[in-house]
Amino acid sequence: MNGNAAVATTVFGVFMVLTVALGLLAVRGRGRTTGIAEWSVGGRSLGTVFIWVLMAGEGYTSFSYLGAAGWGYNHGAPVLYVIAYMSCGYAIGYVVGPTLWSYARRHGLVTITDMVAHRYGRPWLGTAVAILATVCLLPYIQLQITGMGVVVSTISYGAISLNWAYFIAFAVTTGFVVVSGLRGSAWVSVLKDVLVIATLGFLAIYVPNHYFDGYGPFLDRLVAEKPAWLTLSGHGGSGLDATWFATTSFLNSLTVVIFPTTVAGYLGARNADALRRNAMLLPFYNVLLFVPMLLGMAALFVVPGLTGAGSNLAMFKLVVDSLPAWAVGVIGVAAALSSIVPMAVFMLVIGTMWGKSVLGTVPALAGRPRRQRLAAQVVVVVAGGLALVLTYLTPNTLVRLSLISYEGMAQLVPMVLLGLMWRRLTLWGAVSGLVAGGALVCALVFTEHDPLWGVNAGALALGVNLVVALVVSWLGPRPVDDRPDEEVLATDPRPADTRAEESVPA
Amino acid sequence: MLKRPHLLWLLAPYVLFLGTLPLADRVRPTVMGLPFLFFWLLAATLLTPAAVFLAWRGDRKRGRV
Repeated sequence: MNGNAAVATTVFGVFMVLTVALGLLAVRGRGRTTGIAEWSVGGRSLGTVFIWVLMAGEGYTSFSYLGAAGWGYNHGAPVLYVIAYMSCGYAIGYVVGPTLWSYARRHGLVTITDMVAHRYGRPWLGTAVAILATVCLLPYIQLQITGMGVVVSTISYGAISLNWAYFIAFAVTTGFVVVSGLRGSAWVSVLKDVLVIATLGFLAIYVPNHYFDGYGPFLDRLVAEKPAWLTLSGHGGSGLDATWFATTSFLNSLTVVIFPTTVAGYLGARNADALRRNAMLLPFYNVLLFVPMLLGMAALFVVPGLTGAGSNLAMFKLVVDSLPAWAVGVIGVAAALSSIVPMAVFMLVIGTMWGKSVLGTVPALAGRPRRQRLAAQVVVVVAGGLALVLTYLTPNTLVRLSLISYEGMAQLVPMVLLGLMWRRLTLWGAVSGLVAGGALVCALVFTEHDPLWGVNAGALALGVNLVVALVVSWLGPRPVDDRPDEEVLATDPRPADTRAEESVPA
Repeated sequence: MLKRPHLLWLLAPYVLFLGTLPLADRVRPTVMGLPFLFFWLLAATLLTPAAVFLAWRGDRKRGRV
């Protein structure tokens, strides 16, 4: 191990220890006494600031460092869809967040699968959705493990091997999430956000000055030499044109508001207003996403000729090339935490869904929050371990699955959003729509017809899903459900409701 | 929704990011050196919080928040 590697690795190691310590510190005096609601949704007690860092933390993953720079390098402008859908999603979260929050609070629910089971009055539906969502989420855990592995290996100048880096990613994340749950993830998010904002802010100024004598010359050169990268559909015949951009951003903006990890953040809020304030504040975070995209394009001039997976390292090549070892270490930590925080919330959500909606239906666990919590923690270790083992053994299996993750999850939108607001959507309507939409996504993606005629396959499937759901609701059987509308449907809470609900124990 | 028309502000990001794409998808004119599409999407990113703020202000005026 040479000097640079020793310095960068030490910086990295110190911060990893700090991360676990923070996660453990977060639950001091709270950990032992409570059930699944404390662990899964932080006892519904997080204020505006914690919700901000947590939700920003979930949205800003290792993709932002690697994939965003890599897409910027390979294609250019199409990658901006990430900013478009996150901004639109945060905006409609102004209504959706408080609505889901108050619904969950009123009925003592802790995950999206719980809500579905309550809305349609069928526990098995919660179980089925939990399994489906797990299949969609596992690939994300693996992507975070591999993303962090690549970063750690690069910033340690190769001193930490990929396989060890994968293991560190798994161990650190599982270590604190099992003990501290959502609250610990929020605390670690604070450390992460400070580092991410500081390092990206620094790189945004430093890189153009170091390589191009400032932004003016950098942008001039970009416009003059690489115009293909600067409009849709980008460079390299990607087929990612304006139709694709608009349909994908639209679909993802709907999906992100019901994504199980986003919902975990919503449900952790102390009150509905914390979520409304966040809908205003969160979009600012997206400004940071421009940095890796621009730096990915800067890398076109500095390290030309990266191909395949190598292009994901476009930004890190610049970092390692131009900065001293300690700074490389700090930037690596920021990127590693950008894997750890979302991974922690993904695992937490999988654990919660299984603890409540799958294993919670087992008689020995039903109605016993503490045992459900223990079961959930076991599931976290199993799910994380499974993702790790698959990373080592068959790295491509989950990558292939990840192709359908987001578009597959999008098919839950009618069942969840429409279902919670409109009583006449029936159980069988929602299920038929989900099956039809899910099947169409799988068919189009696995036969490589995504996008089809420029339109995102998930968006097409969502249209089919919606039509099937409506037709079956109108013509199909109507399950008997005597509960009043207030019991079944969700509404955006008024301030008076909010105050009344605050006295109800979580 | 009819009781809260100010919530229509929440759709402003869709217009800014997606509705205007046919017009905004161009390199020139550059603004402060930025290619036009990047400038436009950066502006939309900064205007999104403002749109949500207008929705929030509407709620506050009607005593909902």
